[in-house]
Amino acid sequence: MSHATTERHAEKSRLMSDFHLNTAESSADHDTVASSFDRREFLRLAGFTFAGVALTGCEQARVEKAIPYLIKPEEITPGKAYWYASTCAGCNAGCGILVKNRDGRPIKIEGNPDHPISCGGLCAIGQAQLLGLYDSQRLANPMINGAPTDWQTLDQKLMDRLKEIRTGNKAVRLLSGSLTSPTALALVKRFLASFKDGKHVIYDPVSRSGILEAHERTHGIRVLPRYRFERADVIVGVEADFLGTWISPVEFTAAYRSGRTLEGDPPQCSYHVQIESRLSLTGGRADKRYAISPSDRVSLLKGLLSLLEGKTTRAKPGESSHMLFLNELADRLRSARGESLVVCGSNDVASQMLTNAINEVLGNYGKTLDVQSPSYQHQSNDKALEDLLADLRGEKIGALFIHGVNPVYDLPGGKEIGELLAGVPLVVSFAERIDETAHRAAFVCPEPHPLSSWSDTEAVAGVVSLTQPTIAPLENTRALTESLSAWLGKPSSVLGLIREEWRTTVFSRQTMEKNFQSFWNQSVHDGFAVVAARQHRKGAFDSRSARNVVSTAAQGERFELVLYPKVSMGDGRHAHNAWLQEVPDPITKVTWDNYAIISDVAANNLRLASGDIIRLTVADADPAVTLEVPVWIQPGQPDSVVSVALGYGRKGTERFAKIGPQWLEGKPSVGPDGLVGVNAAPALQLLDGQLLYERQGVRIEKTGRQQALACTQTYQSIDTPPLLAQGTEARRPLIRYATLAAYAANPSAGSGPEHKSQSMWPEQHEYKGARWGMIVDLNACTGCAACVVSCQAENNIPVVGKDEVLRNRELHWIRIDRYFVDHDGDLDVAHQPMMCQHCDNAPCETVCPVLATVHSEEGLNQQVYNRCVGTRYCANNCPYKIRRFNWFDYAHDDAKQNMVLNPDVTVRSRGIMEKCSLCVQRILEQKIEAKKNGKAVADGAIKTACQQSCPAQAIVFGDMNDPASLVKKKMADRRSFNILAELETRPSVGYMTMVRNRSEQTGETSHG
Amino acid sequence: MSKRLFVAYFEQEEDILGVTRAAREQGYEIRDVYTPYAVHGLDKAMGLRKSRLPWICLGFALLGATAKLWFQIWTSAFDWPVNVGGKPLASIPAFVPVTFEITVLFAGLGTVAAFLLISRLRPGKKPLMSFNRVTNDRHALVLVENDASFDPLQAAELCDQYHCVEVEERLEEES
Amino acid sequence: MADGISLLRSPLILGNKTAAQVTEDVCTPLDRGPGIAWWFAIAVSLSMFTLGVLAVIYQLFTGIGTWGLNNTVGWAFDITNFVFWIGIGHAGTLISAILFLFRQRWRTSVNRSAEAMTIFAVICAGIFPIIHMGRPWLAFWVIPYPNFRGPLWINFRSPLVWDMFAIGTYFTISLVFWYVGLIPDFATLRDRAVSKVKKTLYGFFSFGWDGSTKTWQRYETVYLLLAGLATPLVVSVHTIVSWDFATSVIPGWHTTIFPPYFVAGAVFSGFAMVLTLMIIARSVLHFEEYITLHHIESMSKIIIATGGIVAMAYMTELFVSFYSGNEYERFAFVNRMLGPYAWAYWIMVSCNVVTPQFLWFRKIRRNVALVFILSILINVGMWFERFVIITISLTRDYLPASWDNYAPTLVELATLIGSFGLFFTLFLILARFLPMIAIGEVKGVLSYGRKGIHVAGEEAGGTKSIKTPVQLGSGVQGGTP
Repeated sequence: MSHATTERHAEKSRLMSDFHLNTAESSADHDTVASSFDRREFLRLAGFTFAGVALTGCEQARVEKAIPYLIKPEEITPGKAYWYASTCAGCNAGCGILVKNRDGRPIKIEGNPDHPISCGGLCAIGQAQLLGLYDSQRLANPMINGAPTDWQTLDQKLMDRLKEIRTGNKAVRLLSGSLTSPTALALVKRFLASFKDGKHVIYDPVSRSGILEAHERTHGIRVLPRYRFERADVIVGVEADFLGTWISPVEFTAAYRSGRTLEGDPPQCSYHVQIESRLSLTGGRADKRYAISPSDRVSLLKGLLSLLEGKTTRAKPGESSHMLFLNELADRLRSARGESLVVCGSNDVASQMLTNAINEVLGNYGKTLDVQSPSYQHQSNDKALEDLLADLRGEKIGALFIHGVNPVYDLPGGKEIGELLAGVPLVVSFAERIDETAHRAAFVCPEPHPLSSWSDTEAVAGVVSLTQPTIAPLENTRALTESLSAWLGKPSSVLGLIREEWRTTVFSRQTMEKNFQSFWNQSVHDGFAVVAARQHRKGAFDSRSARNVVSTAAQGERFELVLYPKVSMGDGRHAHNAWLQEVPDPITKVTWDNYAIISDVAANNLRLASGDIIRLTVADADPAVTLEVPVWIQPGQPDSVVSVALGYGRKGTERFAKIGPQWLEGKPSVGPDGLVGVNAAPALQLLDGQLLYERQGVRIEKTGRQQALACTQTYQSIDTPPLLAQGTEARRPLIRYATLAAYAANPSAGSGPEHKSQSMWPEQHEYKGARWGMIVDLNACTGCAACVVSCQAENNIPVVGKDEVLRNRELHWIRIDRYFVDHDGDLDVAHQPMMCQHCDNAPCETVCPVLATVHSEEGLNQQVYNRCVGTRYCANNCPYKIRRFNWFDYAHDDAKQNMVLNPDVTVRSRGIMEKCSLCVQRILEQKIEAKKNGKAVADGAIKTACQQSCPAQAIVFGDMNDPASLVKKKMADRRSFNILAELETRPSVGYMTMVRNRSEQTGETSHG
Repeated sequence: MSKRLFVAYFEQEEDILGVTRAAREQGYEIRDVYTPYAVHGLDKAMGLRKSRLPWICLGFALLGATAKLWFQIWTSAFDWPVNVGGKPLASIPAFVPVTFEITVLFAGLGTVAAFLLISRLRPGKKPLMSFNRVTNDRHALVLVENDASFDPLQAAELCDQYHCVEVEERLEEES
Repeated sequence: MADGISLLRSPLILGNKTAAQVTEDVCTPLDRGPGIAWWFAIAVSLSMFTLGVLAVIYQLFTGIGTWGLNNTVGWAFDITNFVFWIGIGHAGTLISAILFLFRQRWRTSVNRSAEAMTIFAVICAGIFPIIHMGRPWLAFWVIPYPNFRGPLWINFRSPLVWDMFAIGTYFTISLVFWYVGLIPDFATLRDRAVSKVKKTLYGFFSFGWDGSTKTWQRYETVYLLLAGLATPLVVSVHTIVSWDFATSVIPGWHTTIFPPYFVAGAVFSGFAMVLTLMIIARSVLHFEEYITLHHIESMSKIIIATGGIVAMAYMTELFVSFYSGNEYERFAFVNRMLGPYAWAYWIMVSCNVVTPQFLWFRKIRRNVALVFILSILINVGMWFERFVIITISLTRDYLPASWDNYAPTLVELATLIGSFGLFFTLFLILARFLPMIAIGEVKGVLSYGRKGIHVAGEEAGGTKSIKTPVQLGSGVQGGTP
């Protein structure tokens, strides 16, 4: 018993002690215990923490719907490019384009090779349309009195207002630029017809009304003829910059070039005389350039006319050079009756009538210029505009619809017009942004960007083009036609409207297709349709009208002012396009500004240097107009003429103040008034039915202020400075050219002696497969800079801003070198596009320490961006100086604008070298394509961006190892040469001698 | 077993030279002579062999040259051949400069390393023997008292003839 | 004390120094606290340095665009400064190595600071090739190290790679050479140091030097070998630097005489800089008896010689450019003389060709102030020589359309100033902690130009009547065992 108790006791005590032990232990180091037993606890806590993190994450993250590409639309393959045929809306020329789409967004615009007007070329402005599409400052919504709204409300309110107007029988005007869209024109007519007094007033900021007016008077038919440069052997341009800015430059460039191919025997080459009051791109190309001041134009044309009519006797040898020139010109023209073309760029009706008379005398009508099936590219009527302004002053207008023009900005007395608009009960604007005019309009109905909507165009009679959307509109916008149809009470989609219009008016004019749908499909596919032109009956030639033109006289001491459109800026409607702002002007090479061009003689007289800001005072204007613009001294400028470009000083260009790198010494890209350039439109003159771009009696005063002009070329002449040319050839054999006579005698005239290539080391590297090469025909190149912008769009080249250009750090991969050549007194302009020459013995490769630039097996000089450390040794050692360096991180923070980037091309980061790659991404694309089809890359299948957009087809790219390739043939041509071949760099890029139609037997080059 | 050393201090170059020569002729075992600067002719006076460092230098030079030349040819012609400016893959002339530099680098560093090794010099090492003012202006002649026959007085006598300024005996510290 | 002076050779070190005095003279400045002059100097140089650092930081964060370079001129201030500093460095090696081989014993009192100058100059130079890169953080890519990018190696044909190896080797060897020279002096400092800290520090760096003749013998051999290596090295370095330009295709760069031309120029400018520094040092640290007029004169003579070579090179260049008949070459040189940067060219000519001619006159050579001014002018001139060669050649090369001008930005100027700041800062710090004169070597040449002298350590200064062992007779001096 006791034993049992003891046992029990012992047992108890043991338990107790155990218990104690446990408690002691647990209390002793409780956390070790805790950590030991709480795996579950841990998990629980952990679980909570994770949840917590996840939750907070959810809180912070913006909720985004990502939709997997599981079921893809069958017509779209990601990463594959799709092309849509469309029509360019950069200007009225109506060039055909192909839009390259990648993953649902347009990334490149190219010319449509099949298009009858543009023949595959596309100008700088056309190329830059792409950037405009992604402009984040376009209106996102319709506006009423400056407040965004939706279309329903807008339509409601507007139609109420229209009702009042209808009942009140007030006058309604639709003011627009030339409308080439048949659908739009039809709708406008219908819309205006719905009012008692509705008129459509058309004007263009750069007006061609004079031509139409003149034809109305001389031929009794108000048309703009279609000019056929390809049919002309003798071309006389009077103030007509037809290769640069006049009416349809791309079309004319192609035509002009086709007349100067130097093929056949004797080599075929038209004779081109340019008579102009400022050095234009066209004048630079001319075989004979004759500088006049605007006031001499009429008398000169009269002189020429009377010579051609044989009224005046031929000049004696002793006579003035002026008469001798006219005689020679008259002879040339007479020798080419029906095969000559005289065009006049002035908007002065008198000059145009004389021009018509001359063409009539030469029998050119119906041959080199066509009024039966004319051009609709310009329909402006300055007289109607004048009437409208009168009505506005008389407050007779009840409603004014403004489309595609910006009268407050681009007309003389814009300020006054602005005030007049305030007096109009209803002003409706269709502007894409709140511009000078739109902010005076109660209703703003923005139109979609042409790349994102349907439209149609009949730029020249018989060629109807279609514009199709290549992306859903990025803003809440509506096409003009759609708006009008809505306000007419029968709203309809723009596509529906166009199809309807085509069914009724276009389909009937063709015979190829029997059913409309297939015709439509074909047209959409091609982007255009050629149909029968509406015939215009031309009246009998009325010679009197031209006869009694009185010639003006210059006003003594003072200057004559010429206002002109710049190649890259046109009438300024694209002033918001940074690409275009940074394109160097083909002649002055200045970017980012407009300026007053004067001759060096005038500059010396006035003690002016380039960059001095002057005050131009147009005395005979009332009130007197003054412009303050920096001076640019320009060879080839008549001493009595000062020229200023239009299209600058646009409202909204303040946006460029901060473009480009911002740093310690960085300066803004805008002028003192916060805008890019100065608006010269106030100096225009709207005088008895003519919008005049020339003013007499202009005073020039020095303001003493300066404004640096960002020119990409510090040295202008092809001759080295005389002081420094001692003992050396003044003229370096870089651009080579010959006269036609010399070329006919010896095809290699001018292209210099053959360079005998010899090597210091064993040739280890032969190119077995393809070997890519390029050749640029200097005889075709006009320097229009289309290639520059095309390259910029294709290769994601950033805009660097004015200050960087001033520091000569522009990034364009193509630099068009422009040289002034003094040809015994006359001034020649020579253009030479310079891109990477892809030398076989590339100096840049040898010096790179890290092998960041090496040679490919296909002869390409490759730049390896992510290997480059940026020593810039390669750029120093490049004799062609075509390498470009990323001096800063260039802005890519505008998400919308970044959609323009080409996904096939790297966006380069700061501190690395870059340069022309001969569009290696395109080469690869075609090689893959060819590989899939199991055949070799066909010649011409690969087109580099520059080559593709060149309106003159001056650039040819291809495989130099393929004996049949075009580039190989051209390389073998005796006109071809390499620049600095004597350096033994062995470039893969060649050039072809420029030939001018002259009689003297010289190949003008230092080695010729 | 540590040895007894006989140390005599001198102040003049010619004295230390003379005494060293004399001591050697009289058959003293010279442990070493410590001087504040390189006294010319002292090594001959002690009868030291010419140093063999030049051969080490040459060795390193050859090593550097061959290694670098091989490396350049291997990298640019074999391991990763690429067309650079149309030049041959192994552009020997262009490889000369770097080869030369590496040659010099190897030779220089090798020689100095060898010198430190042989002379048992290394950062932070304590001098085995330190003699008063010997890095300043005094020259110390150290003789080994190798056997009984060594007579300190005699040695001192000898030293005196050369204007010895101080004489001392000490045990050699074991290193 | 005329009787103590040899009639044949004037002593290198004046004032009949004893070894002990030398030790004292050289070491005491290190014991003394820095004087007001030093503080002022370091303040100025440090602020210059800081300015440069700020400029470089700004440039690193903003981009090379903050320099005045452009598409045409890819190198200007950066590489000009680089070549300038490398050139400065050359004098040091020349003094320590070439003069050593030529047994020019006067070198001993200047070689220490000249070598230091070399090292600091190379540091200043080395900075520029790195910061001039567009992406300096990738500078290590110019080193051929094993990698998984290909394997991707470097381009051994590029002079920049040669540069990298040349500068690297040059810096290493100069540093080693300099340090080897310092070891015995560290021992001296160690043994005379009183404070524990100094003793251990100097002890650490003295590598346990004990002045054993066996070591001295090897030491001499090593020194000779290093000198023998450094001599071709110093020539190779500036040769290779000149190849940066000579191997290019740019007229004005592509010139075969560049290697000798550059080396001579380097020595020329280097000695000018040594003079500038020495003249300051001897007056600030009271080393007039060590760095004597004789030294200044000898260096002036070297400047005349090298200046002559440089002038010759200028003329050769011109002649060749005309004789070559290469129009681009001719133009490049006419453009130098008459073009937009003619002023730079004429500064160069007047500083580098005219200035040294004054040194033909002994009076001027012995006029410290004048020599000082001339030496500075020469430095200016040599900077402009590099600017003329590098920048002007680039501004106008082959295609007139791509010609462009260059103007430095504030950032670039600040960087240049900063490099000088760095140089002087390092030099001043050195002057505080290391003996500016090679003690061991100077002691070796004390007897030079004097008859065998006998001076009791405690009685410094003038020589006493000379005793010979015979006259002295027996009698134990000092302690007996």
